[in-house]
Amino acid sequence: MSRIGVFVCHCGENISATVDCEKVARISGELKGVEFSADYKYMCSDPGQTMLKDAIREHKLDGVVVAACSPRMHEPTFRNACAEAGLNPYLCEMSNIREHCSWVHPKSDLTTDKAESLVRVMVEKVKKNKALNSIKVPVTRTALVIGGGVAGIQAALDIANCGHKVVMVEKLPSIGGHMSQLSETFPTLDCSQCILTPRMVEVAQHPNITLYTYAEVESVDGFIGNFKVKVRKKSKSLDEHLCTGCGLCTTKCPQKKIPNEFERGLGFRPAIYVPFPQAVPNKPVIDRENCTYYIKGKCKVCEIVCPTKAIRFDQEDEIVEVDCGAIVLATGFDVLKPDFFPEYGYGKYKDVIDGLQFERLASASGPTQGMIRRPSDGEIPKKIVFVACAGSRDPAKGIEYCSKICCMYTAKHAMLYKHKVHDGTPYVFYMDIRAGGKNYEEFVRRAIVEDETHYVRGRVSTIYEKNGKLIVKGVDTLMGAQPVEIEADMVVLATAGVANKGSEELAQTVHVSYDAHKFFAEAHPKLKPVETNTAGIFLAGACQAPKDIPESVAAASGAAVKVAALFSNDLLTREPLIAVVNRQAPPVYSSCVGCFLCQSVCPYQAIEREEIKNRNGEVIRTLAKVNEGLCQGCGTCVALCRTKAIDIYGYSNQQVYSEIMALLND
Amino acid sequence: MNDLIKKVTQLLDDKTINVFIGYGQGTASRIRTIFVKNSSQVENLVYTSDCTANLAGYLLKHEVKKIGKLGILANDSALRSMMQLASEFQIKDGEVYVLHAAKDGSFTEFADFQSIEAYLVTIDTGITSDEQERIAKLEAMTVKERWIFWNKEFEKCIKCYACRAACPMCYCHRCTTDVNQPQWIPVASHEQGNLDYHLMRAMHLAGRCVNCGECANACPMDIPLNLLTYQLIAPIRTTFDATAGMKADAVYALSTFKPDDKENFII
Repeated sequence: MSRIGVFVCHCGENISATVDCEKVARISGELKGVEFSADYKYMCSDPGQTMLKDAIREHKLDGVVVAACSPRMHEPTFRNACAEAGLNPYLCEMSNIREHCSWVHPKSDLTTDKAESLVRVMVEKVKKNKALNSIKVPVTRTALVIGGGVAGIQAALDIANCGHKVVMVEKLPSIGGHMSQLSETFPTLDCSQCILTPRMVEVAQHPNITLYTYAEVESVDGFIGNFKVKVRKKSKSLDEHLCTGCGLCTTKCPQKKIPNEFERGLGFRPAIYVPFPQAVPNKPVIDRENCTYYIKGKCKVCEIVCPTKAIRFDQEDEIVEVDCGAIVLATGFDVLKPDFFPEYGYGKYKDVIDGLQFERLASASGPTQGMIRRPSDGEIPKKIVFVACAGSRDPAKGIEYCSKICCMYTAKHAMLYKHKVHDGTPYVFYMDIRAGGKNYEEFVRRAIVEDETHYVRGRVSTIYEKNGKLIVKGVDTLMGAQPVEIEADMVVLATAGVANKGSEELAQTVHVSYDAHKFFAEAHPKLKPVETNTAGIFLAGACQAPKDIPESVAAASGAAVKVAALFSNDLLTREPLIAVVNRQAPPVYSSCVGCFLCQSVCPYQAIEREEIKNRNGEVIRTLAKVNEGLCQGCGTCVALCRTKAIDIYGYSNQQVYSEIMALLND
Repeated sequence: MNDLIKKVTQLLDDKTINVFIGYGQGTASRIRTIFVKNSSQVENLVYTSDCTANLAGYLLKHEVKKIGKLGILANDSALRSMMQLASEFQIKDGEVYVLHAAKDGSFTEFADFQSIEAYLVTIDTGITSDEQERIAKLEAMTVKERWIFWNKEFEKCIKCYACRAACPMCYCHRCTTDVNQPQWIPVASHEQGNLDYHLMRAMHLAGRCVNCGECANACPMDIPLNLLTYQLIAPIRTTFDATAGMKADAVYALSTFKPDDKENFII
């Protein structure tokens, strides 16, 4: 007969306001196998835990049910308390009568009845619980950082400065990300490149950081502490050790009219190119899609002019295997594609540009050397309209969220414009000005008051060209929805920040979850903002949601601390709630028939083959076996096993069945 | 027929195999399975148009396996069963001697899985017009009518487990039906227990059944069990482009994930 203790928590009034906790404790005490039951105002408090520990010792309890909040909240608390009282922690279970009961039902007898049922279910489960021991696995103290933008750079440097090895993978030829494209940054108007490029160089020179640019993650196997990652280093058609980065090849390349991605199509680049002058590494790559040699089979001008003979036309992609203990995802964001706004004429009118293009125009290293010149004829625009929320906060178009950075950068754009074109007039169409953040509101005020930006609260319905002017038709909602029409020389759309291209595929490769907008999902929106639901994989920056630079950097440092904490132990302790394939005495050995469907379904490659041999060494059976280090206890194999040979510790078929029967047999 | 006898005699004489699984004359006019262990028994082999049973199920039976090396007279269904069993690591290439009996009465030797696979892509894996008709009738029913139909059929079940014994894919040493901790499937042959058992079996055959019809043939109560398993063959074929028993190294459609899998079944 079991000797189970039931402890019912009032959670202040969180539970007791709608559930009669005393009654739940009294009724539970009468259940078969329950030796002791009590209720208390705060079970998780020190007196509450002491009460639990004393009861375990005094009544020689062999199982504990704590009826309180979600196990996500306090299961570790009570399991530790049990362990301190000498009871195996896995003989303690939580019955969630708060989230599953008191919070979601009104005060009534029915609510108390439900709480009693939830306790009864757990009592039946605990009767079948087994004492388990935690699993220890070694940790590989190398972190993989995917993405070389400001978030990735920050995370990599922080981890590397803790003394751990870092491998950074960037898909473009240079690290730097979107921040390297920016002109100045809000709210201080300091030059983006000036603050970023030293950090990029630091990454390249750091003894603990290995940098793979022009590379992508191909596959991720393994688990926290022991990931095995395959990285595809795309061929740069170049021997990086020989290349000195002199840049002669880029000047001689006959292909000169390829739209420059870094300049957002406002400039051109050759087929062998360095994305921008401050690139890290400052060595070119050949864009094979546009290279004359790869298209027509002859040219090789770069090879001829290269003083160190570093060009390798026959170079192939290389697969590098990286063993790492943690992964930081810092793959950033993208801006909405132009075809999203047919009414704004993006793509149709050359002088309707997006915010990132404006950054390049305003940048001293940009295509106009920092002069604000419109793309169509190079004239300086005298009247410029900024349209905030181009795509954002527009449920009709499928983006209901706020892109967060646009209000601030639009104010910045207006200021930069005014600083460069003193007689110009900037207009901003906005829905609301969201300037929460240190010195942010002051910054926007400056744009309005000191730099005389005309803020018009309303949305733009259409933009069309008439007599060489862009007619912007909108409405001013503060003037009684009065229609507004502005004859502008140039229009800048603050396009919504969206998930990066390929983020869905990457999420599937790395095994993390993502939201409806394909941004990576954090484990908890408040308490675990940089963790993912996959242990050992963390998030930094705008791959999670649109973020500005300070926020991205803060998140990156947060992720770095999580990684450093993980690497601070020699062994990782894991919960033993894993799958197990049964074993029995010969000649049965196991009810496993070795069909290995579990092997194909396992998302963690945790199923191995075990050969059972007779005395002569002949294989008589081949059975499935679970690798304890790899198994995450997801239970997919259990569901697929026809012969029920697999079970999960802590959630065994028998336990779950008992729970269901406890409910049905009421 | 003489070819068959000559071939099997030779196989047994030169010890290529220890037993040959084929068809023989049963009581009355029925055809039964026979296990030919030496050349003196070879004369018992018959092959007529009534020899339609899928013999692959015997390949994994303990009593048969322990005799030694096996040879089998395999029809199309048996070949497909063998491919499915191979994909589930139950038989290995070269382990079983395969003599294929074509519908026209000719016999061909298949040396390895590769030649079986090559042959299988040429055959029609569809269902007979008779089956098609019965399935169309079922599909024309409303959900409620179909529920009544199946409950009525399952009411007849006496839980003799002949369907399980006849099915080449029911090779588990311990069937879920026999698990009693917890007792997933009620043992008694009452309405609920019968429904549980047959639905469980159908689900376990999803994506694995080759539609040989042995379950229905074996049923002493004439329950059309193959119609039940067929209901899972068709959607797996259309949804995942997967047909059971075509390749020895096939991956199971329901345990693997492809990014371009259709998700139209998710509500």
